Amino acid sequence: MNPLLLAAWSMPVMLGLIFARVPIGLSMLVVGLIGSWQVYGSAAPLLNQMKTLAYGQFSTHSLAIVPLFLLMGQFASLGGMSQALFKGAEAFIGHRKGGVAMAAIGACAGFGSICGSSLATAATMGQVALPELRRAGYAGSLATGALAAGGTLGILIPPSIVLVIYAILAEQNIAKMFAAAFIPGILAALGYMVVIDIVVRVNPKLAGQIEPLPWPERWQALAAVWPVLLIFVTVIGGIYSGIFTPTEGAAVGAAATGVLAWIRGGLSRDKLLRAFEATASGTAMVFMIVLGAAAYNTFLALSQLPQELASWVGGQGFGPFQVLWAILVFYLVFGCVMDSLSMILLTIPIFFPMISGLDFGLTPEETAIWFGILVLIVVEVGLITPPVGMNLFVIQSMAPDIPMRETYRGVWPFVVSDLVRVAMLVMFPAITLFVLRL
Amino acid sequence: MSNLIYGLSRAMAWFGALVLTVLAALTVTSIGGRAFSFAGLGPVPGDFELVEAGTALAVFCFLPWAHLKRSHATVDILWKAFSVRTRLALDVLAEGLMLVVWLLLVWRMSIGMHDYYKNGELTFILQFPVWWGYALSMPPAVVGCIAYLWRLLETIGVVATPPGDVAAYGVH
Repeated sequence: MNPLLLAAWSMPVMLGLIFARVPIGLSMLVVGLIGSWQVYGSAAPLLNQMKTLAYGQFSTHSLAIVPLFLLMGQFASLGGMSQALFKGAEAFIGHRKGGVAMAAIGACAGFGSICGSSLATAATMGQVALPELRRAGYAGSLATGALAAGGTLGILIPPSIVLVIYAILAEQNIAKMFAAAFIPGILAALGYMVVIDIVVRVNPKLAGQIEPLPWPERWQALAAVWPVLLIFVTVIGGIYSGIFTPTEGAAVGAAATGVLAWIRGGLSRDKLLRAFEATASGTAMVFMIVLGAAAYNTFLALSQLPQELASWVGGQGFGPFQVLWAILVFYLVFGCVMDSLSMILLTIPIFFPMISGLDFGLTPEETAIWFGILVLIVVEVGLITPPVGMNLFVIQSMAPDIPMRETYRGVWPFVVSDLVRVAMLVMFPAITLFVLRL
Repeated sequence: MSNLIYGLSRAMAWFGALVLTVLAALTVTSIGGRAFSFAGLGPVPGDFELVEAGTALAVFCFLPWAHLKRSHATVDILWKAFSVRTRLALDVLAEGLMLVVWLLLVWRMSIGMHDYYKNGELTFILQFPVWWGYALSMPPAVVGCIAYLWRLLETIGVVATPPGDVAAYGVH
């Protein structure tokens, strides 16, 4: 079969496997290997390539950042940082209308600055904030919606595992990607707080009221947050200033949060082993997808499909923004059912050449970074959109008494806020890029 | 047998995370040494290579546990619409594919290891043979084959699923 046709056919086959609940990484791996075999026309080159496939992918230095950031997030939660962040934010804004939910968003943003994963952020902050929200009399829909949305800050605010993967695929500087993600991440947090404000103004019954704390206690609660700030500044500052590489930065973060957890007495044998298991599951999930994507993308590259598609799109006379919007809408639609990392690994090798070939009035590097941030946001929206929003499930599992449709109802205003933000960032690339132009 | 396989996979997951922790400590030591190079200290030689080999070892250690605990990313949006028989068939397909692909990869990996052993290629800084990294990762990779076979046997119903398994039939 013609390689192009083969590559085009491989996609429905792979999606078929994925929808048959074959693990996503495994589906990509199987289709990729069979596809390469067909393109080569014989098994020998494929068998040769497979000698180094798994070990080669798993021993990639820049990917070592992934398990280290996952470990860092686990240690940070054992060190009581999620609790401290929530208490610190609640002390200042908790007594306002909707304030406890806003505090939860603020704490998610803080935790996101030392954790690179959405699910870990949602899970950790959910454990801390959900009981407090219920106690303060917040409606189930607002509590779960806010926490599911807040969880996405884990990945929108650097460090971010999805961003690392994008940077590797698009051959961009990880430090610059992190810097560019910062302002959009803060905007996300502010946007979610505005949403809470509007929601409780429209329907005041959704939020309860708590008493304001005296000022000395507020400062005390805020002071407990300093390790988070110190670790964030060390890790992200160190990476951005070039004192150490991103992987080294992740190692520093893991070590620092580990020591912190140890000092605070969070490292009981049992808790440590649970944290180790969570790191193991998370890492294995990411690397299984990475392995599958490596095989599948090798096949795609052999088939020449990405290049052909990019030159076809380039020759159609579409406006650059038409193509960009089409891609972003594609991610929003697929994000409803697909996992964010798999989507990025599968589609960036196809979409990135298309976008690179278009003129947005930016330098090639700026285009790559800006596109990466936009993609990051739209795939993260997938984490909170029904029916398959992983963050919704994570939060839901902690509050079995809240019906799923309540959670669905509670989350959509946050999705709207995400879409507004995407439109803003598309129209004004400078919001993302001005940090890099300083 | 089930206890042995689950226990071993879990212990390997712990071990892999321990390796990661050691790598983090090693990297911090190395950065510290580099920062104090004016005082005659220096970075840990070959830290880069150790992180690479160590991460690979950790990932190979994590995979069997993650598979047994069904941690891999899946899309189960259509799953509820399938009949019990279809579900069983699809599960057998997924588990079978995992086993076959992994057997193939481990087989090729062992050939790759043998190639590096014969050509004697060394790493750049530490000058340790490249095949050592492969050899370290080999045992957990082989445990992976056993775990995937076991999961397939569980799915077919030849051996019992351990209590509390999240994806046992009919629970959805």
